Amino acid sequence: MAQEAEERPIDRPDGARGSAFDVLMSFLKIGGSAFGGSTQAMVFREVVDRRQWMNEEQFIVGQAIAQVLPGANPVNLALYMGLKVAGGLGAAAAVFGMVIPAFCIIMAMGFAYQEFSSLPVTSFVLHGVAAAGVGATVSQGLKTTRKLPKRASTFIVGAAVFITIGLLRWPMIPVVLVAVPLSILWAYVEERRAA
Amino acid sequence: MENKLLGLFIVFAPLSLLSFGGGQAIVADIQYQTVSVHGYLTNAQFADLFAVSRAAPGPSTLIAALIGYQVAGFWGAIVACLGIYVPSSLLVYGIASWWQKHKTSPLKIAVERGLAPVAVGLIFAGALAVVRAALANEPNNIIVALELVTLAICCSIFYFSKIGSYTVVFATAGIFFLIHLLAF
Repeated sequence: MAQEAEERPIDRPDGARGSAFDVLMSFLKIGGSAFGGSTQAMVFREVVDRRQWMNEEQFIVGQAIAQVLPGANPVNLALYMGLKVAGGLGAAAAVFGMVIPAFCIIMAMGFAYQEFSSLPVTSFVLHGVAAAGVGATVSQGLKTTRKLPKRASTFIVGAAVFITIGLLRWPMIPVVLVAVPLSILWAYVEERRAA
Repeated sequence: MENKLLGLFIVFAPLSLLSFGGGQAIVADIQYQTVSVHGYLTNAQFADLFAVSRAAPGPSTLIAALIGYQVAGFWGAIVACLGIYVPSSLLVYGIASWWQKHKTSPLKIAVERGLAPVAVGLIFAGALAVVRAALANEPNNIIVALELVTLAICCSIFYFSKIGSYTVVFATAGIFFLIHLLAF
């Protein structure tokens, strides 16, 4: 089954399709290694960079939908990607793969916490892992930015969201609630004008 | 026992549909419900479980599993997970399958074009938030520099190569472990 996915053409316009088994294998690996809040970048790495199941533009649509809807972002993202690559079974496989390893690890850590949390090496290693995760996130941001349409609206909206939430630390939900409709309206006007 | 399982589900299922932006949005409410309303945990227990959930891989909402285990053992963990993930997943499944099947229209294109830059802004804001949290209470400049160098190297690896993120994550963990053994 893995063989089949490997032989897909690289840039199919509507995204290559894989099997639910491939989806499960990919997400089990991500679920077991996505420490430190950079899960989305790790999913991007697997789905776009490595498996080439879809391109940057298709991924960012899924990521946006996963972020806007309620629920854990990594779980929503896995569900969207699994659904797109391999239908309903793929969605279930992706969510299962994302949650199960993390569930087992967190339960083990729950038991071990008293022993290990006081060791300085634990927090040192976790800091290193967090830095690697941020590296993945920045790389994903750069790759996606490169593929967005080169329009003033793209850069103004992206920069406004980064500045308000990232630099000024405004709360995310109200900013997103204002930015999303404005950005969609702007894109709609631009599309109409271009047509 | 059954009452506790039902209670866990009743605590987590509504929060599932309120968890906009992920676990951060509902942590305060999880704490209020499990500590103040139901008395399942003490504040100190909650703080410990929260710390574990931040250090573990995967979604931060997995704190539900830890709380469920604390309250009602293994099945408590399972029920709490189902409560926190099933309602939002059903919603996402419905909307995502409608979205992926729906024919392309000017409105759909505008929604996709409009959502993308917001998502990219959030990606960079998220990166900055993690860096800030990691370096906030770090008095040692050498460690700060080490982390920034690690960030830059890993970013280059991810940008220019096809090495899997799990390989990079575990290699980084190993290298940091060795550095700690040798240098501290």
